Amino acid sequence: MAPTLMASSTSKPLLSTPTPNLPPPRSIPIMAKAIPSPARSLLKSLSISPRTIALGAAASLAAAPLPALAAEIEKAALFDFNLTLPAIALEFLLLMVALDKIYFTPLGKFMDERDAAIRAQLGDVKDTSEEVKQLEEQAAAIMKAARAEISAALNKMKKETTAELELKLAEGRKKVEQELAEALELLEKQREETIKALDSQIAALSDEIVKKVLPTV
Amino acid sequence: MNVIPCSIKTLKGLYDISGVEVGQHLYWQIGALQIHAQVLITSWVVIAILLGSVIIAVRNPQTIPTGGQNFFEYVLEFIRDLSKAQIGEEYGPWVPFIGTMFLFIFVSNWSGALLPWKIVQLPHGELAAPTNDINTTVALALPTSVAYFYAGLTKKGLGYFRKYIQPTPILLPINILEDFTKPLSLSFRLFGNILADELVVVVLVSLVPSLVPIPVMFLGLFTSGIQALIFATLAAAYIGESMEGHH
Repeated sequence: MAPTLMASSTSKPLLSTPTPNLPPPRSIPIMAKAIPSPARSLLKSLSISPRTIALGAAASLAAAPLPALAAEIEKAALFDFNLTLPAIALEFLLLMVALDKIYFTPLGKFMDERDAAIRAQLGDVKDTSEEVKQLEEQAAAIMKAARAEISAALNKMKKETTAELELKLAEGRKKVEQELAEALELLEKQREETIKALDSQIAALSDEIVKKVLPTV
Repeated sequence: MNVIPCSIKTLKGLYDISGVEVGQHLYWQIGALQIHAQVLITSWVVIAILLGSVIIAVRNPQTIPTGGQNFFEYVLEFIRDLSKAQIGEEYGPWVPFIGTMFLFIFVSNWSGALLPWKIVQLPHGELAAPTNDINTTVALALPTSVAYFYAGLTKKGLGYFRKYIQPTPILLPINILEDFTKPLSLSFRLFGNILADELVVVVLVSLVPSLVPIPVMFLGLFTSGIQALIFATLAAAYIGESMEGHH
């Protein structure tokens, strides 16, 4: 009827192409009879009756009646809902409970606890670093205090030294001034003495000048 | 007109060569109800892997983690980050939900790609990732809806329903529709991706036996991881969205 492709391993027909010279529509019932029943039942199981195909394929085939099929192979039930559905659903729910009990909850809890422990340890490490920070702060405070003390002592010393220096300076100045005053006094005395001496000399000198100028007196 | 023979032939061809058993289930009868045994079995294996590895790794936690404990601590941190990013500061109670969602989907998806399920022959159907059954993905999506309703109601009381008329009452139908599209898109995205992924690998393996499917397998691993992440992230986002304050 149709040229068939033969598979190398099997002698069964693989694919068949339609013959180019198809029989007229009138011969369809005969052809339908010629359709192997296993294939038909397969079609039926896929809930596509040959009739439906015929309807879909060509309107002229719609009226073609199809004879009853012999059940050479059992009907293939792809969409065959039965007790399997609730059974699998129940199995799934039981599996869920079982896995929850032995896997999800315990292992999840274990992992969370381990996470928490690691976090806590990390926290501890952070705490020690805080302690270190505190110690560092303490050290800084001590350093600051020491520095303040030193600078205070320095200031004090500076002040003392300055005061001493000023005292000495003042003393020295006083001394110098005293000496100066004494020197000035002495100088004045000497000047007065000199002036007195000069006065007496001047009298003598003037007497002499008068004698020389007026010899005849 | 040639659509019928073409598509049917193709489908049949693919079906025949790959031996892909799409939608084939091993049924167990419990009372009047049926159950997909292969999904249940693989989900038990996935749960056993999860619980076993968790118990071994986290039994005796050390302060300095090694090996398994390290890995599971990383996973827990990843889930916590994810929840925190989507939900915000009050993410704590939601970690088990988001985490279980992520781990269950991730291990389921990868089990489909990595565990040699096909070695075990079932009388009917075959073992595969639990997430390639629509029942599983819906069973994961519905609790998500319940979870975000619960989150919103406990956080804001009945004031939670005010969000339906915000920012304007005109959006009421769309807002209500959203509550249906959210689980729908969640479940169908996961289902479609994983199913398509496994189909592509199986088909490619049957077509080209050797090296070619390997990149696709790696792509499958990548997609599986992404899908788990998307599912968990969206679940968390929905919860966060219903908890956040509307002003």
